[in-house]
Amino acid sequence: MRMEPIRAAGGRPAHIRHDDDLISVKGVSVVMARQLVLQNIDLAIPKGSFVSLIGPSGCGKSTLLKVLAGLVNPTSGSVSIAGLSPVEAARKRMIGLVFQDANLLPWKNAVDNASMLLGIADRSLSRADLRARGQEMLELVGLGDSAHKRPNELSGGMRQRVAIARALALDPAVLLMDEPFGALDAITRDQMGQSLLDIWQRTGKTIVLVTHSIDEAIHLSRHVHVMGIKPGRITESLDIGLPYPRDLSVTEDPEFVRLVVQLRVMLRASHQPGGAS
Amino acid sequence: MSDQPITNLSEPRSASNWAAATGSWLPAVILLLATIIVWEAVVRLFAISAFIIPAPSEIAQSLVAQWATLMQATLVTAGEILFGFLVSVVVGIAIALVIVRFDWLGRALYPLVVLFQNVPKVALAPIFILWFGYGLAPKIGLILVIAFFPVTLSMLAGMQSVDRSLLSLMNSVGASRTQILFRIRVPHSLPNLMAGTKIAATLSVIGAIVGEFAGASDGLGYVIQFASTQLDTALVFAALLLVSVLGIAFYYAAEILERIIVPWAPKFSHA
Repeated sequence: MRMEPIRAAGGRPAHIRHDDDLISVKGVSVVMARQLVLQNIDLAIPKGSFVSLIGPSGCGKSTLLKVLAGLVNPTSGSVSIAGLSPVEAARKRMIGLVFQDANLLPWKNAVDNASMLLGIADRSLSRADLRARGQEMLELVGLGDSAHKRPNELSGGMRQRVAIARALALDPAVLLMDEPFGALDAITRDQMGQSLLDIWQRTGKTIVLVTHSIDEAIHLSRHVHVMGIKPGRITESLDIGLPYPRDLSVTEDPEFVRLVVQLRVMLRASHQPGGAS
Repeated sequence: MSDQPITNLSEPRSASNWAAATGSWLPAVILLLATIIVWEAVVRLFAISAFIIPAPSEIAQSLVAQWATLMQATLVTAGEILFGFLVSVVVGIAIALVIVRFDWLGRALYPLVVLFQNVPKVALAPIFILWFGYGLAPKIGLILVIAFFPVTLSMLAGMQSVDRSLLSLMNSVGASRTQILFRIRVPHSLPNLMAGTKIAATLSVIGAIVGEFAGASDGLGYVIQFASTQLDTALVFAALLLVSVLGIAFYYAAEILERIIVPWAPKFSHA
Protein backbone atom coordinates (compact mmCIF):
# COMPACT_ATOMS: atom_id res chain seq x y z
CA MET A 1 0.00 0.00 0.00
CA ARG A 2 1.61 3.18 -1.15
CA MET A 3 1.78 6.42 0.77
CA GLU A 4 0.86 8.78 -2.01
CA PRO A 5 2.30 12.19 -1.04
CA ILE A 6 5.74 10.84 -0.23
CA ARG A 7 8.02 10.26 -3.15
CA ALA A 8 11.74 10.02 -3.36
CA ALA A 9 13.60 11.94 -6.00
CA GLY A 10 13.84 8.89 -8.22
CA GLY A 11 10.06 8.58 -8.32
CA ARG A 12 9.97 5.25 -6.51
CA PRO A 13 7.79 4.98 -3.44
CA ALA A 14 9.57 6.11 -0.35
CA HIS A 15 7.75 3.63 1.79
CA ILE A 16 6.00 0.43 1.36
CA ARG A 17 3.90 0.04 4.44
CA HIS A 18 4.72 -3.12 6.36
CA ASP A 19 3.04 -4.84 9.21
CA ASP A 20 6.10 -4.02 11.26
CA ASP A 21 5.56 -0.27 11.03
CA LEU A 22 5.83 0.96 14.59
CA ILE A 23 4.50 4.42 13.92
CA SER A 24 1.92 5.32 11.36
CA VAL A 25 0.77 8.87 10.72
CA LYS A 26 -2.21 9.37 8.44
CA GLY A 27 -3.36 12.69 7.07
CA VAL A 28 -2.26 14.67 10.12
CA SER A 29 -2.80 18.43 10.05
CA VAL A 30 -2.16 20.78 12.94
CA VAL A 31 -3.60 24.28 13.25
CA MET A 32 -2.15 26.48 15.99
CA ALA A 33 -3.11 30.11 16.52
CA ARG A 34 -4.96 30.04 13.17
CA GLN A 35 -1.78 28.98 11.37
CA LEU A 36 -1.61 25.75 9.43
CA VAL A 37 1.53 24.36 11.06
CA LEU A 38 1.36 20.89 9.54
CA GLN A 39 -0.55 19.93 6.42
CA ASN A 40 -1.67 16.41 5.63
CA ILE A 41 1.33 14.50 6.94
CA ASP A 42 1.58 10.84 6.03
CA LEU A 43 4.44 8.93 7.51
CA ALA A 44 5.23 5.31 8.23
CA ILE A 45 8.16 4.49 10.48
CA PRO A 46 9.23 0.84 10.53
CA LYS A 47 10.11 -0.79 13.81
CA GLY A 48 13.80 -0.54 14.60
CA SER A 49 14.57 2.07 11.95
CA PHE A 50 16.45 5.33 12.30
CA VAL A 51 14.51 8.16 10.70
CA SER A 52 15.44 11.84 10.44
CA LEU A 53 13.18 14.82 9.83
CA ILE A 54 15.03 17.71 8.26
CA GLY A 55 13.83 21.07 7.02
CA PRO A 56 14.03 24.83 7.38
CA SER A 57 12.92 26.68 10.48
CA GLY A 58 9.16 26.89 10.65
CA CYS A 59 8.53 23.67 8.73
CA GLY A 60 6.86 22.14 11.76
CA LYS A 61 9.34 19.30 12.27
CA SER A 62 9.40 19.88 16.04
CA THR A 63 5.61 20.05 16.07
CA LEU A 64 5.45 16.75 14.20
CA LEU A 65 7.72 15.22 16.84
CA LYS A 66 5.43 16.59 19.57
CA VAL A 67 2.45 15.04 17.79
CA LEU A 68 4.25 11.69 17.85
CA ALA A 69 4.98 12.22 21.56
CA GLY A 70 1.35 13.02 22.35
CA LEU A 71 2.26 16.54 23.48
CA VAL A 72 0.33 18.18 20.63
CA ASN A 73 -3.02 16.88 19.43
CA PRO A 74 -3.48 16.85 15.67
CA THR A 75 -6.35 18.99 14.42
CA SER A 76 -7.20 16.23 11.96
CA GLY A 77 -5.78 12.88 10.97
CA SER A 78 -4.57 10.05 13.16
CA VAL A 79 -1.37 8.77 14.71
CA SER A 80 -0.83 5.25 15.86
CA ILE A 81 2.13 3.89 17.76
CA ALA A 82 1.95 0.10 17.85
CA GLY A 83 -1.83 0.46 17.62
CA LEU A 84 -2.05 2.95 20.48
CA SER A 85 -2.59 6.70 20.53
CA PRO A 86 0.57 8.67 21.35
CA VAL A 87 -0.73 9.59 24.81
CA GLU A 88 -1.53 5.95 25.60
CA ALA A 89 1.87 4.92 24.28
CA ALA A 90 3.59 7.55 26.45
CA ARG A 91 1.73 6.32 29.54
CA LYS A 92 2.97 2.81 28.77
CA ARG A 93 6.52 4.17 28.71
CA MET A 94 6.86 3.46 25.00
CA ILE A 95 8.17 6.95 24.21
CA GLY A 96 11.52 8.39 25.22
CA LEU A 97 12.04 12.11 24.67
CA VAL A 98 15.26 14.06 24.23
CA PHE A 99 15.26 17.82 23.59
CA GLN A 100 17.97 20.27 22.58
CA ASP A 101 18.36 21.34 26.21
CA ALA A 102 19.24 18.39 28.44
CA ASN A 103 16.95 19.80 31.15
CA LEU A 104 18.68 17.94 33.94
CA LEU A 105 17.72 18.73 37.52
CA PRO A 106 20.71 20.68 38.89
CA TRP A 107 20.14 19.39 42.42
CA LYS A 108 20.41 15.73 41.42
CA ASN A 109 23.51 13.84 40.33
CA ALA A 110 23.80 12.06 36.98
CA VAL A 111 22.49 8.69 38.13
CA ASP A 112 19.46 10.19 39.89
CA ASN A 113 18.76 12.36 36.85
CA ALA A 114 18.96 9.31 34.60
CA SER A 115 16.36 7.44 36.68
CA MET A 116 14.16 10.46 37.49
CA LEU A 117 11.46 9.93 34.84
CA LEU A 118 11.39 6.19 35.44
CA GLY A 119 10.73 6.90 39.13
CA ILE A 120 7.73 9.04 38.19
CA ALA A 121 6.43 6.54 35.63
CA ASP A 122 6.77 3.50 37.88
CA ARG A 123 6.24 4.30 41.53
CA SER A 124 6.67 0.69 42.59
CA LEU A 125 10.44 0.81 42.00
CA SER A 126 12.64 1.22 45.06
CA ARG A 127 15.39 3.79 45.30
CA ALA A 128 17.96 1.04 44.88
CA ASP A 129 16.19 -0.30 41.77
CA LEU A 130 16.16 3.19 40.29
CA ARG A 131 19.83 3.75 41.05
CA ALA A 132 20.76 0.41 39.47
CA ARG A 133 18.75 1.19 36.36
CA GLY A 134 20.20 4.71 36.17
CA GLN A 135 23.73 3.36 36.48
CA GLU A 136 23.08 0.76 33.79
CA MET A 137 21.83 3.47 31.42
CA LEU A 138 24.77 5.77 32.19
CA GLU A 139 27.10 2.93 31.27
CA LEU A 140 25.20 2.44 28.02
CA VAL A 141 25.78 6.10 27.07
CA GLY A 142 29.43 5.96 28.18
CA LEU A 143 29.11 7.86 31.45
CA GLY A 144 29.40 4.97 33.89
CA ASP A 145 32.10 6.69 35.94
CA SER A 146 30.31 10.05 36.25
CA ALA A 147 27.28 8.78 38.17
CA HIS A 148 27.82 11.04 41.17
CA LYS A 149 28.57 14.23 39.32
CA ARG A 150 26.08 17.07 39.36
CA PRO A 151 25.05 18.65 36.02
CA ASN A 152 27.22 21.72 36.67
CA GLU A 153 30.25 19.38 36.76
CA LEU A 154 29.40 17.90 33.35
CA SER A 155 30.10 19.29 29.87
CA GLY A 156 27.29 20.01 27.41
CA GLY A 157 27.87 16.72 25.60
CA MET A 158 27.89 14.76 28.85
CA ARG A 159 24.68 16.41 30.00
CA GLN A 160 23.03 15.40 26.76
CA ARG A 161 24.27 11.84 27.29
CA VAL A 162 22.52 11.85 30.68
CA ALA A 163 19.35 13.10 28.95
CA ILE A 164 19.57 10.17 26.52
CA ALA A 165 20.15 7.79 29.44
CA ARG A 166 17.07 9.24 31.17
CA ALA A 167 14.95 8.55 28.07
CA LEU A 168 16.39 5.03 27.64
CA ALA A 169 15.76 4.19 31.31
CA LEU A 170 12.05 4.00 30.47
CA ASP A 171 12.95 1.23 27.99
CA PRO A 172 10.83 2.95 25.36
CA ALA A 173 10.01 1.42 21.98
CA VAL A 174 10.79 4.70 20.25
CA LEU A 175 13.23 7.48 20.97
CA LEU A 176 12.01 10.90 19.79
CA MET A 177 14.83 13.44 19.61
CA ASP A 178 14.38 17.12 18.85
CA GLU A 179 17.73 18.57 17.72
CA PRO A 180 19.48 16.81 20.60
CA PHE A 181 22.96 17.89 19.47
CA GLY A 182 21.99 21.33 18.19
CA ALA A 183 23.73 23.21 21.00
CA LEU A 184 26.99 21.27 20.81
CA ASP A 185 30.17 22.10 18.92
CA ALA A 186 31.01 20.25 15.70
CA ILE A 187 33.47 17.72 17.16
CA THR A 188 31.29 16.83 20.15
CA ARG A 189 28.34 16.63 17.79
CA ASP A 190 30.09 14.03 15.62
CA GLN A 191 31.04 12.00 18.69
CA MET A 192 27.49 12.15 20.04
CA GLY A 193 26.06 11.10 16.68
CA GLN A 194 28.39 8.12 16.55
CA SER A 195 27.49 7.18 20.15
CA LEU A 196 23.81 7.39 19.27
CA LEU A 197 24.37 5.02 16.33
CA ASP A 198 26.13 2.55 18.64
CA ILE A 199 23.30 2.77 21.17
CA TRP A 200 20.75 2.28 18.40
CA GLN A 201 22.52 -0.84 17.15
CA ARG A 202 22.88 -2.27 20.62
CA THR A 203 19.32 -1.58 21.79
CA GLY A 204 17.34 -1.90 18.56
CA LYS A 205 15.21 1.13 19.46
CA THR A 206 13.29 2.98 16.79
CA ILE A 207 14.72 6.49 16.59
CA VAL A 208 13.12 9.60 15.12
CA LEU A 209 15.57 12.49 14.97
CA VAL A 210 14.76 16.10 14.16
CA THR A 211 17.86 17.84 12.87
CA HIS A 212 19.14 20.85 10.97
CA SER A 213 22.28 19.08 9.87
CA ILE A 214 22.46 17.41 6.46
CA ASP A 215 25.61 15.49 7.43
CA GLU A 216 24.07 14.28 10.67
CA ALA A 217 20.90 13.11 8.92
CA ILE A 218 22.84 11.11 6.33
CA HIS A 219 25.49 9.80 8.73
CA LEU A 220 22.89 8.40 11.10
CA SER A 221 19.61 7.65 9.39
CA ARG A 222 18.16 4.92 7.27
CA HIS A 223 15.41 7.23 5.99
CA VAL A 224 15.39 11.02 5.75
CA HIS A 225 12.17 13.00 5.32
CA VAL A 226 12.55 16.53 4.01
CA MET A 227 9.98 19.03 5.22
CA GLY A 228 8.96 22.32 3.61
CA ILE A 229 7.43 25.53 4.89
CA LYS A 230 4.16 27.37 4.47
CA PRO A 231 2.50 25.12 5.26
CA GLY A 232 4.69 22.59 7.07
CA ARG A 233 4.62 19.39 5.08
CA ILE A 234 6.78 16.50 3.95
CA THR A 235 8.12 17.39 0.51
CA GLU A 236 10.45 14.53 -0.22
CA SER A 237 11.87 11.38 1.29
CA LEU A 238 15.24 9.83 0.80
CA ASP A 239 16.45 6.33 1.66
CA ILE A 240 20.05 6.22 2.80
CA GLY A 241 21.53 3.04 1.39
CA LEU A 242 24.89 3.27 3.14
CA PRO A 243 25.49 0.00 4.99
CA TYR A 244 25.55 -0.18 8.79
CA PRO A 245 27.54 -0.22 10.99
CA ARG A 246 28.64 3.25 9.94
CA ASP A 247 31.35 5.33 11.52
CA LEU A 248 32.61 8.81 10.76
CA SER A 249 34.66 7.54 7.81
CA VAL A 250 31.34 7.14 6.00
CA THR A 251 31.42 10.90 5.45
CA GLU A 252 34.27 10.37 2.98
CA ASP A 253 32.34 7.77 0.99
CA PRO A 254 31.46 8.97 -2.56
CA GLU A 255 27.88 7.77 -1.99
CA PHE A 256 27.70 9.95 1.16
CA VAL A 257 28.89 12.96 -0.82
CA ARG A 258 26.34 12.25 -3.54
CA LEU A 259 23.55 12.01 -0.94
CA VAL A 260 24.64 15.29 0.66
CA VAL A 261 24.34 17.04 -2.71
CA GLN A 262 20.97 15.41 -3.37
CA LEU A 263 19.61 16.30 0.06
CA ARG A 264 20.88 19.87 -0.26
CA VAL A 265 18.99 20.29 -3.52
CA MET A 266 15.84 18.91 -1.87
CA LEU A 267 16.27 21.25 1.09
CA ARG A 268 16.72 24.27 -1.14
CA ALA A 269 13.46 23.42 -2.88
CA SER A 270 11.76 22.98 0.51
CA HIS A 271 12.54 26.59 1.42
CA GLN A 272 10.05 27.71 -1.22
CA PRO A 273 6.56 28.19 0.14
CA GLY A 274 4.26 25.65 -1.45
CA GLY A 275 0.59 25.81 -2.32
CA ALA A 276 -1.25 22.53 -2.45
CA SER A 277 1.40 19.83 -2.34
CA MET B 1 37.92 18.86 23.97
CA SER B 2 34.54 20.10 24.90
CA ASP B 3 33.38 16.71 26.04
CA GLN B 4 35.52 16.98 29.16
CA PRO B 5 34.00 17.81 32.53
CA ILE B 6 34.19 21.39 33.65
CA THR B 7 35.91 21.08 36.99
CA ASN B 8 36.68 23.57 39.74
CA LEU B 9 33.87 25.82 38.67
CA SER B 10 32.31 26.03 42.11
CA GLU B 11 35.13 25.70 44.63
CA PRO B 12 37.97 28.07 43.85
CA ARG B 13 39.68 28.84 47.18
CA SER B 14 43.38 28.97 46.51
CA ALA B 15 45.90 31.33 48.11
CA SER B 16 45.63 33.85 45.29
CA ASN B 17 41.84 33.88 45.72
CA TRP B 18 42.24 34.66 49.39
CA ALA B 19 44.49 37.56 48.46
CA ALA B 20 41.86 38.74 46.01
CA ALA B 21 39.12 38.42 48.64
CA THR B 22 40.98 40.38 51.32
CA GLY B 23 42.10 42.83 48.67
CA SER B 24 38.45 43.49 47.82
CA TRP B 25 37.66 44.14 51.50
CA LEU B 26 40.58 46.42 52.11
CA PRO B 27 39.34 49.58 50.33
CA ALA B 28 36.03 49.45 52.22
CA VAL B 29 37.81 49.10 55.57
CA ILE B 30 40.14 51.97 54.77
CA LEU B 31 37.23 54.21 53.76
CA LEU B 32 35.35 53.33 56.96
CA LEU B 33 38.35 54.13 59.17
CA ALA B 34 38.96 57.38 57.28
CA THR B 35 35.33 58.41 57.73
CA ILE B 36 35.49 57.77 61.48
CA ILE B 37 38.71 59.78 61.80
CA VAL B 38 37.34 62.72 59.77
CA TRP B 39 34.08 62.59 61.77
CA GLU B 40 35.94 62.68 65.08
CA ALA B 41 38.18 65.53 63.85
CA VAL B 42 35.31 67.66 62.51
CA VAL B 43 33.23 67.28 65.69
CA ARG B 44 36.21 68.27 67.88
CA LEU B 45 37.49 71.03 65.57
CA PHE B 46 34.14 72.81 65.27
CA ALA B 47 33.05 71.92 68.83
CA ILE B 48 29.77 70.48 67.58
CA SER B 49 27.41 69.78 70.46
CA ALA B 50 27.13 66.09 71.41
CA PHE B 51 23.32 66.13 71.26
CA ILE B 52 23.45 67.14 67.58
CA ILE B 53 26.27 64.89 66.33
CA PRO B 54 28.24 62.91 68.91
CA ALA B 55 31.86 62.06 68.10
CA PRO B 56 32.62 58.35 67.44
CA SER B 57 34.54 58.29 70.72
CA GLU B 58 31.45 59.50 72.60
CA ILE B 59 29.32 56.84 70.91
CA ALA B 60 31.88 54.24 71.98
CA GLN B 61 31.80 55.54 75.56
CA SER B 62 28.01 55.41 75.59
CA LEU B 63 28.13 51.87 74.21
CA VAL B 64 30.42 50.77 77.05
CA ALA B 65 28.56 52.68 79.78
CA GLN B 66 25.13 51.39 78.74
CA TRP B 67 26.38 47.94 77.69
CA ALA B 68 24.06 45.90 79.93
CA THR B 69 20.94 47.87 78.94
CA LEU B 70 21.86 47.79 75.27
CA MET B 71 22.56 44.05 75.26
CA GLN B 72 19.24 43.35 76.91
CA ALA B 73 17.48 45.54 74.33
CA THR B 74 19.42 43.86 71.51
CA LEU B 75 18.29 40.42 72.68
CA VAL B 76 14.64 41.54 72.75
CA THR B 77 14.86 43.03 69.25
CA ALA B 78 16.80 40.04 67.90
CA GLY B 79 14.09 37.75 69.23
CA GLU B 80 11.38 39.77 67.50
CA ILE B 81 13.33 39.78 64.24
CA LEU B 82 14.04 36.05 64.33
CA PHE B 83 10.48 35.08 65.22
CA GLY B 84 8.93 37.54 62.78
CA PHE B 85 11.32 36.46 60.02
CA LEU B 86 10.52 32.77 60.48
CA VAL B 87 6.77 33.44 60.46
CA SER B 88 7.17 35.58 57.31
CA VAL B 89 9.11 32.84 55.50
CA VAL B 90 6.63 30.11 56.46
CA VAL B 91 3.58 32.20 55.52
CA GLY B 92 5.27 33.50 52.35
CA ILE B 93 6.06 29.94 51.19
CA ALA B 94 2.57 28.71 52.06
CA ILE B 95 0.92 31.47 50.02
CA ALA B 96 3.19 30.77 47.03
CA LEU B 97 2.44 27.02 47.18
CA VAL B 98 -1.31 27.61 47.37
CA ILE B 99 -1.21 30.03 44.42
CA VAL B 100 0.68 27.55 42.23
CA ARG B 101 -1.10 24.37 43.30
CA PHE B 102 -4.71 25.59 43.21
CA ASP B 103 -5.46 27.54 40.06
CA TRP B 104 -8.73 29.16 41.13
CA LEU B 105 -7.45 30.05 44.58
CA GLY B 106 -4.30 31.47 42.99
CA ARG B 107 -6.32 33.62 40.63
CA ALA B 108 -8.28 34.92 43.63
CA LEU B 109 -5.33 35.35 45.96
CA TYR B 110 -2.56 36.74 43.78
CA PRO B 111 -4.20 40.08 42.83
CA LEU B 112 -5.14 40.65 46.48
CA VAL B 113 -1.58 39.96 47.62
CA VAL B 114 -0.25 42.45 45.06
CA LEU B 115 -2.93 44.97 46.02
CA PHE B 116 -1.98 44.61 49.67
CA GLN B 117 1.57 45.59 48.76
CA ASN B 118 0.32 49.09 48.05
CA VAL B 119 -0.83 49.56 51.62
CA PRO B 120 1.87 51.55 53.46
CA LYS B 121 2.55 48.92 56.06
CA VAL B 122 4.38 51.19 58.46
CA ALA B 123 1.03 52.93 58.90
CA LEU B 124 -0.42 49.66 60.16
CA ALA B 125 1.80 49.74 63.25
CA PRO B 126 -0.59 51.78 65.46
CA ILE B 127 -3.49 49.51 64.49
CA PHE B 128 -1.47 46.42 65.41
CA ILE B 129 -0.68 47.99 68.78
CA LEU B 130 -4.40 48.62 69.22
CA TRP B 131 -5.25 45.02 68.36
CA PHE B 132 -2.39 43.09 69.94
CA GLY B 133 -1.09 45.33 72.75
CA TYR B 134 2.50 46.19 73.58
CA GLY B 135 4.07 42.73 73.58
CA LEU B 136 5.67 40.51 70.94
CA ALA B 137 2.53 39.93 68.83
CA PRO B 138 2.21 43.36 67.13
CA LYS B 139 5.92 43.25 66.15
CA ILE B 140 5.54 39.78 64.64
CA GLY B 141 2.43 40.97 62.81
CA LEU B 142 4.19 44.02 61.41
CA ILE B 143 7.26 42.04 60.33
CA LEU B 144 4.95 39.50 58.67
CA VAL B 145 3.07 42.06 56.55
CA ILE B 146 6.32 43.77 55.57
CA ALA B 147 8.49 40.71 54.89
CA PHE B 148 6.30 37.89 53.50
CA PHE B 149 5.89 39.46 50.05
CA PRO B 150 9.44 39.08 48.70
CA VAL B 151 9.36 35.46 49.89
CA THR B 152 6.10 34.74 48.07
CA LEU B 153 7.07 36.63 44.95
CA SER B 154 10.54 35.10 44.58
CA MET B 155 9.27 31.59 45.17
CA LEU B 156 6.46 32.09 42.64
CA ALA B 157 8.97 33.36 40.07
CA GLY B 158 11.17 30.31 40.69
CA MET B 159 8.29 27.84 40.47
CA GLN B 160 6.93 29.37 37.29
CA SER B 161 10.26 29.56 35.46
CA VAL B 162 10.56 25.80 35.01
CA ASP B 163 11.50 25.00 31.41
CA ARG B 164 8.54 23.96 29.28
CA SER B 165 10.29 21.00 27.76
CA LEU B 166 11.05 19.66 31.25
CA LEU B 167 7.32 19.90 31.98
CA SER B 168 6.69 18.11 28.67
CA LEU B 169 8.97 15.29 29.82
CA MET B 170 7.09 15.04 33.11
CA ASN B 171 3.69 15.12 31.40
CA SER B 172 4.71 12.46 28.90
CA VAL B 173 5.19 9.92 31.69
CA GLY B 174 1.93 10.98 33.33
CA ALA B 175 3.31 12.94 36.29
CA SER B 176 0.60 14.45 38.51
CA ARG B 177 0.40 18.14 39.34
CA THR B 178 1.49 17.45 42.88
CA GLN B 179 4.47 15.40 41.66
CA ILE B 180 5.53 18.20 39.32
CA LEU B 181 5.10 20.71 42.15
CA PHE B 182 7.18 18.94 44.75
CA ARG B 183 9.71 17.12 42.56
CA ILE B 184 10.40 19.92 40.09
CA ARG B 185 8.88 23.30 40.87
CA VAL B 186 9.72 23.57 44.56
CA PRO B 187 13.38 22.49 44.34
CA HIS B 188 13.76 24.58 41.17
CA SER B 189 12.48 27.64 43.07
CA LEU B 190 14.93 27.31 45.98
CA PRO B 191 17.65 29.62 44.60
CA ASN B 192 15.01 32.32 43.96
CA LEU B 193 13.40 31.65 47.32
CA MET B 194 16.70 32.13 49.11
CA ALA B 195 17.20 35.48 47.36
CA GLY B 196 13.74 36.54 48.57
CA THR B 197 14.55 35.25 52.04
CA LYS B 198 17.60 37.51 52.24
CA ILE B 199 15.42 40.51 51.39
CA ALA B 200 12.91 39.36 54.02
CA ALA B 201 15.73 39.19 56.61
CA THR B 202 16.57 42.85 55.97
CA LEU B 203 12.92 43.90 56.01
CA SER B 204 12.37 42.01 59.28
CA VAL B 205 14.86 44.33 61.02
CA ILE B 206 12.92 47.37 59.74
CA GLY B 207 9.62 45.80 60.84
CA ALA B 208 10.88 45.16 64.36
CA ILE B 209 12.21 48.72 64.84
CA VAL B 210 9.04 50.30 63.41
CA GLY B 211 6.98 48.06 65.69
CA GLU B 212 8.97 49.21 68.69
CA PHE B 213 8.68 52.86 67.67
CA ALA B 214 4.91 52.51 67.57
CA GLY B 215 4.72 51.18 71.09
CA ALA B 216 7.10 49.15 73.21
CA SER B 217 8.71 49.12 76.61
CA ASP B 218 11.85 47.32 75.50
CA GLY B 219 14.14 46.70 72.54
CA LEU B 220 16.56 48.80 70.51
CA GLY B 221 13.75 50.81 68.86
CA TYR B 222 12.49 51.72 72.32
CA VAL B 223 16.04 52.69 73.41
CA ILE B 224 16.40 54.94 70.34
CA GLN B 225 13.12 56.71 71.05
CA PHE B 226 13.75 57.02 74.77
CA ALA B 227 17.34 58.28 74.30
CA SER B 228 16.30 60.89 71.73
CA THR B 229 13.70 62.34 74.13
CA GLN B 230 16.54 62.61 76.66
CA LEU B 231 18.74 64.30 74.01
CA ASP B 232 21.23 61.43 74.61
CA THR B 233 22.22 61.33 70.93
CA ALA B 234 25.32 59.25 71.63
CA LEU B 235 23.06 56.47 72.98
CA VAL B 236 20.81 56.80 69.90
CA PHE B 237 23.84 56.22 67.69
CA ALA B 238 25.05 53.35 69.85
CA ALA B 239 21.65 51.67 69.51
CA LEU B 240 21.65 52.39 65.75
CA LEU B 241 25.03 50.71 65.48
CA LEU B 242 23.64 47.61 67.18
CA VAL B 243 20.56 47.61 64.90
CA SER B 244 22.93 47.66 61.91
CA VAL B 245 24.97 44.82 63.36
CA LEU B 246 21.76 42.81 63.82
CA GLY B 247 20.76 43.53 60.23
CA ILE B 248 24.12 42.40 58.89
CA ALA B 249 24.09 39.31 61.12
CA PHE B 250 20.64 38.25 59.89
CA TYR B 251 21.58 38.89 56.27
CA TYR B 252 24.68 36.73 56.49
CA ALA B 253 22.83 34.04 58.41
CA ALA B 254 20.40 33.89 55.49
CA GLU B 255 23.30 33.74 53.06
CA ILE B 256 24.94 30.85 54.94
CA LEU B 257 21.57 29.10 54.95
CA GLU B 258 21.44 29.59 51.19
CA ARG B 259 24.79 27.88 50.68
CA ILE B 260 23.67 24.93 52.78
CA ILE B 261 20.26 24.55 51.13
CA VAL B 262 21.11 25.23 47.49
CA PRO B 263 24.76 24.26 46.98
CA TRP B 264 24.05 23.72 43.26
CA ALA B 265 22.88 27.29 42.67
CA PRO B 266 25.19 29.54 40.66
CA LYS B 267 27.35 31.63 42.97
CA PHE B 268 27.96 35.25 42.20
CA SER B 269 31.16 36.87 43.35
CA HIS B 270 31.01 40.38 44.77
CA ALA B 271 34.63 40.99 43.87
